[in-house]
Amino acid sequence: MLSRTLRKTLSSPVYRRAITSHLSSRTASLSPRLIAPPLSCAFQHHAFSTAVKADESASSSSPSSAPFVPSASRKYQYFTNVEVTPHGVAIVKFDNPTKKVNTLSFSVMREAQALWNEVAANPAVKSVVFTSAKDSCFIAGADIFDVSSVEDKSALVPVIEEALNFFLKIKEKGVPMVAAIHGPALGGGLEWALWCDYRICTDSSTTKMGLPEVKLGLLPGFGGTQNLPALVGVQKAMDMMLTGKDIRHDKAKKMGLVDLVVAPQCLESVAIQTAEGLANGSIKKSKPKAKSWMDRFIEDTPPGQYMMWNKIKEMVDKNTGGNYPAPYAIIDCVKYGLAHSSGLDKYKHEREEFAKLAATKESEALIGIFDAMTQQKKNPSKVDPIAVKKVAVMGAGLMGAGIAQVTAEKGYEVLLKDRDDTSLGRGINYMTENWEKKHKRKRMTKHQFDINCSRVTPLSDQTESWKRHFASADLVIEAVFENLDLKRKIIQQVEEVTPDHCVFATNTSAIPIASIAAPGPEVKRPQNVVGMHYFSPVPSMPLLEIIPHAGTSEEALATAFAVGTKQGKTCVVVKDVPGFYVNRCLGPILVEVSALVKEGVPLETLDKAMKKFGMPVGPITLIDEVGVDVASKVATFLASADLGKRMGGGDLSLMTNMVEKGWTGRKANQGFFTYSGKKDKKIGPEVKAYLKEFTGGKVSNMSEADIQDRIASRLVNEAAKCLEDEIIENPVAGDIGLVFGIGFAPFKGGPFRYLDAVGVSSYVDRMNGFASSLGEQFEPCQLLKDYAASGKKFHG
Amino acid sequence: MIIPRLVAHPLSRACSATLVRFAAISASSKSFSTVRQSSPKKNVVVVDGVRLPFAQTSTIYSDQMAVDLQRLAFQGLITKTALDKSDVDYVLAGTVIQEVRTSNLAREAAINAGFPATIGGHTVAMACISSSVAITSAAEKILSNHADIVIAGGAETFSDVPIRLTRPIRQKLITMPKAMKKGGPLGAVRHMLKGLKMKDISLETPAIANYTTGEVMGVSSDRLSAKFGVSRRDQDEFTVRSHVMAGKAHKDGWYEGEIVPYKGSTEENGIKADSTIESVSKLKPAFVKPHGTHTAANSSFLTDGASASLIMSEERALELGFKPLAYLRDWSFKACDPFEELLLGPTYCSQEVLSRNNLNLESDIGVFEIHEAFAGQILSNLEAMKSQKFADEKFGGKRVGEIDIDKMNTKGGSLALGHPFGATGSRLVTTASRRLQLENQRFALVAACADGGLGHACILERYD
Repeated sequence: MLSRTLRKTLSSPVYRRAITSHLSSRTASLSPRLIAPPLSCAFQHHAFSTAVKADESASSSSPSSAPFVPSASRKYQYFTNVEVTPHGVAIVKFDNPTKKVNTLSFSVMREAQALWNEVAANPAVKSVVFTSAKDSCFIAGADIFDVSSVEDKSALVPVIEEALNFFLKIKEKGVPMVAAIHGPALGGGLEWALWCDYRICTDSSTTKMGLPEVKLGLLPGFGGTQNLPALVGVQKAMDMMLTGKDIRHDKAKKMGLVDLVVAPQCLESVAIQTAEGLANGSIKKSKPKAKSWMDRFIEDTPPGQYMMWNKIKEMVDKNTGGNYPAPYAIIDCVKYGLAHSSGLDKYKHEREEFAKLAATKESEALIGIFDAMTQQKKNPSKVDPIAVKKVAVMGAGLMGAGIAQVTAEKGYEVLLKDRDDTSLGRGINYMTENWEKKHKRKRMTKHQFDINCSRVTPLSDQTESWKRHFASADLVIEAVFENLDLKRKIIQQVEEVTPDHCVFATNTSAIPIASIAAPGPEVKRPQNVVGMHYFSPVPSMPLLEIIPHAGTSEEALATAFAVGTKQGKTCVVVKDVPGFYVNRCLGPILVEVSALVKEGVPLETLDKAMKKFGMPVGPITLIDEVGVDVASKVATFLASADLGKRMGGGDLSLMTNMVEKGWTGRKANQGFFTYSGKKDKKIGPEVKAYLKEFTGGKVSNMSEADIQDRIASRLVNEAAKCLEDEIIENPVAGDIGLVFGIGFAPFKGGPFRYLDAVGVSSYVDRMNGFASSLGEQFEPCQLLKDYAASGKKFHG
Repeated sequence: MIIPRLVAHPLSRACSATLVRFAAISASSKSFSTVRQSSPKKNVVVVDGVRLPFAQTSTIYSDQMAVDLQRLAFQGLITKTALDKSDVDYVLAGTVIQEVRTSNLAREAAINAGFPATIGGHTVAMACISSSVAITSAAEKILSNHADIVIAGGAETFSDVPIRLTRPIRQKLITMPKAMKKGGPLGAVRHMLKGLKMKDISLETPAIANYTTGEVMGVSSDRLSAKFGVSRRDQDEFTVRSHVMAGKAHKDGWYEGEIVPYKGSTEENGIKADSTIESVSKLKPAFVKPHGTHTAANSSFLTDGASASLIMSEERALELGFKPLAYLRDWSFKACDPFEELLLGPTYCSQEVLSRNNLNLESDIGVFEIHEAFAGQILSNLEAMKSQKFADEKFGGKRVGEIDIDKMNTKGGSLALGHPFGATGSRLVTTASRRLQLENQRFALVAACADGGLGHACILERYD
């Protein structure tokens, strides 16, 4: 249920539109709406595709497969045998036989050099084609765990240098290289292609090119920061490198990233012809596209460059809050390259910067999140999920429609049911409008749009056939009002018409799953009931809490997890306790905010402090965005739950009074802030008067650090308490839950990584200090005390 | 062309004569039936039908294409019936003003509505009875054992009609590349301008006129009304009746379920339930000026919309647990002289289909759904049907019969609901089938006129 503002953090490592491609479009891209990252988490859709990494981690953490033994038919582990055509084209194909995708690792690069020695020794070879033996992947990226496994990051420098020499050697020999790309060519994969003299890609929708390193707090260290700007121009290169976004074939051709786009069926033959042509001179080597006079002004004249770099810096500052070092390092590398265009110094500088970044806490945290996401893809259940084809969603409100949207997008048949056509129509409109936006942004074809629409069957109580439709539902997700009787009544209705295997998921944030599933005349199949707690707005929030109750069957749990994962959510299995995990951690923050306000800390100071800490928005803005009523309800609900003293120390009447006045936040244009228009918000005289009354006129000038620690420590302590009470399974789940659920500073990697970084014992001391001066609500939980005593770390 | 097996249902008291014919035909065509063994008792049923709200052109559907409307109607039919998309054997659709990109509308609509790509589909055009012919083609497929479950519908939009450059300019544009190759840009310009007249610089918009006669439909209908002595007053009264009845049906919720909500609404915005004879009679003639009787009110307006019917073999419908609405018993597509009596098709077709099935219009038919292209056109047909003189001239003295107006179009007609050319036929069948059930009548006669002097009539029998 937490808020749309969170998406800002979640994607803050994506420095979207850090640069405009044209001065003329500058005003447009200056508007915050456009700068605001898309409704997606940085890690969700983009490169280093999660599937890739799931694969990756499995094999890199457990090198169980038998060691590679070369044979005549297979001389190399990561490449198929080199074929040489009669016209002297050597065809080198990437092929990692143990994985679905190719990645670049230290061992691949070592082998590549051996391979080159073979090719270079063959006098018949006049040109080289690099391509992949996989059906749908060129190279999905560099192996990130290679980098993590190196203890001393400065050791990376010679390794990269050696790899780079591979290309320099080929260049020196003057053998033309052609990259034939089908499927993703990301990170190191694209950098490999950039070293080539000619790039050909297919027009398949799986073909995408990008340099996503920035999302992991790194930079393209393999010549990317030098070769890309030289090819496509500084502006476009910065856009790609600072946002990490993918480029599809049509745009790639337009911007000069590739020279030719062909159908997948003829990729290899065209690549071979091209290589022949390059060798005999009938085809010219790829040249950067001619720039428009505007681009020439911006990129090639001092005043233009001055404006451009200012602009870029401004954008990066705005989007990172100065918390992420990688974009600055990228800017530095590109600038260095422009200043030292000849010679190999620029590459040296780049790899040194890369090693520096690899050693930063931020990169470690971001890689940690990435790793955690990968781990969370694995179904925790031992049994297989049931094969789900049709998902029914009860309730077409914002939640229900959002769930239906992500479900239909992933290919499930969806039944969306509500009471009447009007509410149903609103839900359907919500989805179609979201899809129309995607279609307009070319993220979706018209056919995909139509198919998505047709996957959703709208049903109201008046649709006589609804029972017939439900007879083939495999999973029902309810998203109706938070009312126990209503929810149980719905289970009863659904159980009557669905098959026995049908899993019933309830999307609640406040009602215990066990009470919803309690066996009785309404609930005859309690083993099929499970909680699926989505966050609003569903299409953009990447987290899903899955809550089994004591009687939930393994199969139902596995099914909920499988569907949630396919919906594109990172799933965290959580115990059935009030607030589950994310909202439970949020409760103490809300109390602490009320305490700080009561002590007279100005609202703006509160917001500013927490933004500096790395939250996407300050807590006051957050409450306004979520709705003061919703926040108040969560807080009062948790205050009366089992958190005891941990919900103490504040005064929740701060919010309940506001709800009574009708100040329910952004949606009412009046919460803590008074809103007018899209951007404009200020604290009005009425609120000032109210706060004066509430604080009794006190004004505090507490330090930023104190504010940050007071709020963060209550959050972190609650997270640790959840781990202690086994509400979450492990620190990985705990980190991912708070980063994806409430936007806990991604560059800090989540509460547990944060604790590791600052040291548990010093943190406990700090909390004890608060506890003695402010009250027992700050007392660290037993687990923290234990870790402090033993000096243990949460992560490795 | 009719398939006599249709009337072989035991409940049809009109079957004896045709059974004899059936026997004769099947005896003579035995050699053809070696490939597909057909059961002699196969019946075609109308399982269900829906339409998108019909709406005045350039209103709610202004940004949709006909294919989108058809897709939504197909989807609405699936929603209403809970039929599994993969059970469908074939898809048919009717449309009149073609969008070039979707000339096979049925196929594109089906594939975008998520039907399996393996299901075939084609599009039919027969002017205002396009979806009628889609439905009967579906029935023919079922009867010939080529399918058991067919979706037949139709769609039309006038919000985006093809407006073309004039022929000389089109020709020049088509031959332009050649000229360009030969003479370069300058040659292209010369080619473009050579022999071009001022009047060529213009646009061609489609008109609702017959190609052969060149006559606008409203003019034909106006003449027909004059011939049968239908007065302006009669037409206006009939128009008001249509609007009032359509308004009442909507208000009573009669169309619930038949109309698929579009963006949450089932409103049909062409209905003016508060029409009065005073308001309607104020209008000036729209086609024949100044003495004509046809006005904007008593002619059907330009409408966007789509509809879909689910047609099955009785056997398969029962197997899947459906309770059909009606049997589709017989049909006729006779045509008449477009110069003389362009819109009199319903009379000829009704005569044929009734007499072939030995049904008496006055005593056997309890439900009439007749397309109202113009108030003058439908009233002329009613006159022709009951006229002894006309019967003497055309039908050897056998009158079609006098329609009891209280049984006809009681839920409104095309004048009020609107008339998306390709979609009206399916609407008539759905409404007639539902009326049979709700009004507990045995037989329904559905009839419609169409451009080119074409007509259509079909007989539905209530399914019990």
